[in-house]
Parts: sequence; structure tokens; C-alpha cells
Amino acid sequence: MVAEPSERAREFETQDLLLNVGPQHPSTHGVFRMVLSVDGEVVKDVIPYIGYLHRGAEKLCETMDYRQGIGFMDRTEYLAAFNAELSYLMAVETLAELEVPERAQWIRMILCELNRLSSHFMFLGAFGIDVGVFATPFIYAWREREALIDLFEEISGDRMMYAYFRPGGLAWDVPQNFKQRVEEVLKSSEQGIKDFDGLLTNDEIFRARTQGVGVISAADAIDYGMSGPSIRASGVPLDVRRDEPYLKYDEVEWDVITGSNGDVFDRYYCRLLEMRESVKIVRQCLERMADTGPIMPEKMPRMLRTPPGEVYIRTEAPRGEYGIYLVSKGGNRPYRLKVRSACLSNLQALRDMSVGQYVADAIIVLGSIDIVLSEVDR
Amino acid sequence: MTNDTPDTTGAANGDAAVAAPDLSATIWPEVDRALSGITATAEKAVLDVIVFIPRDEIIDGLRRLKNDETLAFDYLRSLTAVDQEEAGMEVVYHLYSTTRRHNLTVKVALDNDDLTIDTATVVWKAANWLERETAEMFGIRFNDHPDPRTLLMPEDMADTFPLRKSHPLQEIEILQGEGMGYGEEGPA
Repeated sequence: MVAEPSERAREFETQDLLLNVGPQHPSTHGVFRMVLSVDGEVVKDVIPYIGYLHRGAEKLCETMDYRQGIGFMDRTEYLAAFNAELSYLMAVETLAELEVPERAQWIRMILCELNRLSSHFMFLGAFGIDVGVFATPFIYAWREREALIDLFEEISGDRMMYAYFRPGGLAWDVPQNFKQRVEEVLKSSEQGIKDFDGLLTNDEIFRARTQGVGVISAADAIDYGMSGPSIRASGVPLDVRRDEPYLKYDEVEWDVITGSNGDVFDRYYCRLLEMRESVKIVRQCLERMADTGPIMPEKMPRMLRTPPGEVYIRTEAPRGEYGIYLVSKGGNRPYRLKVRSACLSNLQALRDMSVGQYVADAIIVLGSIDIVLSEVDR
Repeated sequence: MTNDTPDTTGAANGDAAVAAPDLSATIWPEVDRALSGITATAEKAVLDVIVFIPRDEIIDGLRRLKNDETLAFDYLRSLTAVDQEEAGMEVVYHLYSTTRRHNLTVKVALDNDDLTIDTATVVWKAANWLERETAEMFGIRFNDHPDPRTLLMPEDMADTFPLRKSHPLQEIEILQGEGMGYGEEGPA
């Protein structure tokens, strides 16, 4: 893959250097490889290579019962597995016409928003390292994320691959001290968000490093099909929770956070502000949620079957729109299951964002998209 | 999610033509107007309207859907294919309008003898990687694609199309579904 030398390079008889980054490199956040064509310190071209983590989750789901597929969805989006499960199960429930009890919907919503918090903490920590603020933000983020993950473990029995949502509701009820524990975790998360705001947002070096870098315009972001905080930072108020509400998002008060410049700093700041909205949403959910009540429909078929039909479900995962396209031909397994990965579409814009930037900035541009490679490759 | 619209795709309804009365309240009349001159048909799925466009007119159709002022489908959510075995393959586009906030599913039926279709990258940049993935997984060729390399699959497996129904599974993968009765009849 030799890039064409530019006009200027020919004139001085120099050659663009091909710089390989990854696939095994901490700054690529997983197994992702990109070949940078650099002229001195300036990036002239980026060729991303993905697929190192491709496991064929879509094909495997075609061979399995709907309930068995939940585990695979966890593993596509391992930093926000609740959101992934939710999207998949909403597709199954829509086709099977299962009504999820109200209390289960509130619990699902709380867990999805808490998962958004934990995922964004992960981003903040890793992004700090990308930018060069070594260790401190990472340890801070890890501390808050740990509290969240402990809570998830208490509820579901697993720290990352929960498999807690089931068709029709939840696998089992939440612990009795659920509300009190969530409130505790929210307090520590709020403190964490505040710490980060103080640590990074107004830091002069951090701003100099991130502002005006990796800009993508609103029109380009829409054209590339970007979603989540990455597109909202460009000033496009695109949020599935607001535009096509699912669960109980239309019953709670919160704001869609948008940026204006579409640069690395805005993508960081959108996520930070979005975390405060998540805290707000969870607080309202706790108020509205009943202490006791059913978490599964009264009558559940022993074998879950769906009538023939198809549905495209979209939900707002932390990284953007996580969509499930489910085609059923009857029976108890999908005929075709397609996972619409938010990161895949966001990553497509990497080239447009990075060309013309310095090599070191190409790393933080990649970091600011917040990719999860297992979601990209599926 | 709204479940109040009746599912008209059920087997009991038979042909798609039965669904026609339901569509007047949907986005279909607008789409029909924008696609005048193209032989498009529609059907209602659980959530969105599905529009079938013939293969040779697909790019023209997609362009019109994008540029039409009241429809303004400026956002390509997803692009994929479904292997319908003997009935050929379907390329599926999920469109969204960021300004009007409505959805549409567009489908193109391909014959098994001629699995080629024009690229949608001229309409949305988002189609680039999605088409590369669809091409390598189903063996569909996208004419004039600007970057027809493989995306997820290794280069030396270019003649293997894993998401086709005819692609064999490893033995261990078949065993996972064993006893779950996922056949036509289900468990005894």
C-alpha cells in the first residue's frame, strides 16, 4: 500500500514515510491498525485496517435460540453490555409482541444509564493517557468505574458480561438495597465528574492540545453516518433517546448536549456533560420506580418464538446508535441478525479528521472517537 | 417503542397488496411522489415502511429520497444484505432524516445469477465501509466502489462468503443449537 508522493515531495526528492501504528498498541484501544503516510510530522493519509476481532457474532446468532444470543451481544459491546443487550432484546420483544413490565423498564433504564457512566469514565481515563496526562486521570476514572462495576456485579453476578436482561424483562430481581446502592454510586460518580472537570477541562495545556484538532463538520458527520457524542460535538442534536424515545426516556427531563466546533475538545466535553445528564436521568428513574412489582410478564412461553417479520431497532449506546436489524421467518432463532455498530461508522470519518494533523494528534483524534474494536468487528 | 400498528407482514395476510390501505397514513405517499417514474412498491413492517426499488433504478431512487425537501433522508443508518436462498439476495438500506426525524427501509432484490448492484457511496459516504462488509460477507459486487478491498475478512479468504446461508458452520457451532429445536417444527 504505497501512497502517491505529493508534488512537493517530488520537487525536493523526498518521500512520504509510511508509519504503521498497531495492531498491538495501547493508543489504538484494542486491535486496530492504521498506516499513516507522513510528511515530516504531518499526516497526509490514513489507511485503517480492522477485522482483527471479527468473530462472526451475526452468523453465530443465526444458529441459536434467542436467549442464547444475549451472551453474544454482551461480547460485541463489552464496555456497555447493558445497552447492547437492551437493543437486541427490544428487537426480539417487538417481534414476539412481549410487553415488558413497567418496573423492569425502569431498572433497565437505570442500568443502561449507569453503564453509560462507566463507559464514559473509561473514555476519560484512556483519553487522558492519549493526550499525555499520564496516570492521574486514569486512576481517577478507574476508581469511579470500579464503584459502578461493583454495583453491576452485585446485581447481575458479572462485572462485564452481564446477560441480565432477558426477553420480557430481567433475569431476576434487583437486590433489596438497590436504590440506596445506586444513590451511593451516583454520589461517587458525581464527585468523579467534578474531579475530571477540574483536572482537564480548564487546563491550558489540555485545551491547547485538543481545541481545533480533528475537526469534522456537521454535514460531513451526517454524511458519514456518525452518531453519539461524536456527532453531537459537531452541533448535530442527534440522540435516539430524544428523537425516537424508547423505555421511559420521554417521561424524564434531560437535555441533549451538543458542541459547536466538532473538534477533539468538544467530543471530550460533550461526553463529560452528558454524564451529568445521565446522573439526572437515573435520579428521576429512582424516584419513579416502584420498590416491588413484577419484572417479567405473567405469561411467558417456555419456548420463545417470533412470527415472520423484520424490525430495525435503534438505541442510544454510549458510543452512538447501536442498531439491531432482526429478520425472522418464524421459529425460535433469527433468520438474519445484523448489528449496526456505531463505532464502525464513526471510525470511517477518521481519515477526514486526521489528514493535515500532526502524528501525535492523529492518536488523540482516534482516542476522541472512543472506539470499541469488538463492536467494530463483531 | 410503539407497538400499536398492526403487523401486516404476517403469513395470514398473504400478498403484500393486502397492506395497501394501511400505508396511506405512513410516509409512503410522500415517498411514492418522490419516486415518480420508478416502479417502487411498499409494504409495512412492524416499525418502518419498506420500499422495494428495482436494482437498475436504485441509485436514482436513493438520490431522490435524499434530495427531496420533505423527505430529506440525509442519514444512512445501516446497509446490509439478507440471503433469501433460492429467492436471491436482498440489499437493505435503513434511512433516516436528521431534520424530519423519520425512517424508511429500502430493499433491492438481487438475482442469484447476477449479484451486482451500483454503489451507494455516491449518495452517502457512510455506504463505503458498509458496502465493503456486505460485499465480502455475501459475495455481492458493488459496481464502481471507490475502495473495493476486504474490510473484516482476511485478503486470502476473498472467495468465502460467511454470511451466506450455504456457508457451512463448524461442527461445534452446530452443536450449540442442538436440542433447542430450532427447526421448522420446534421441540417435540
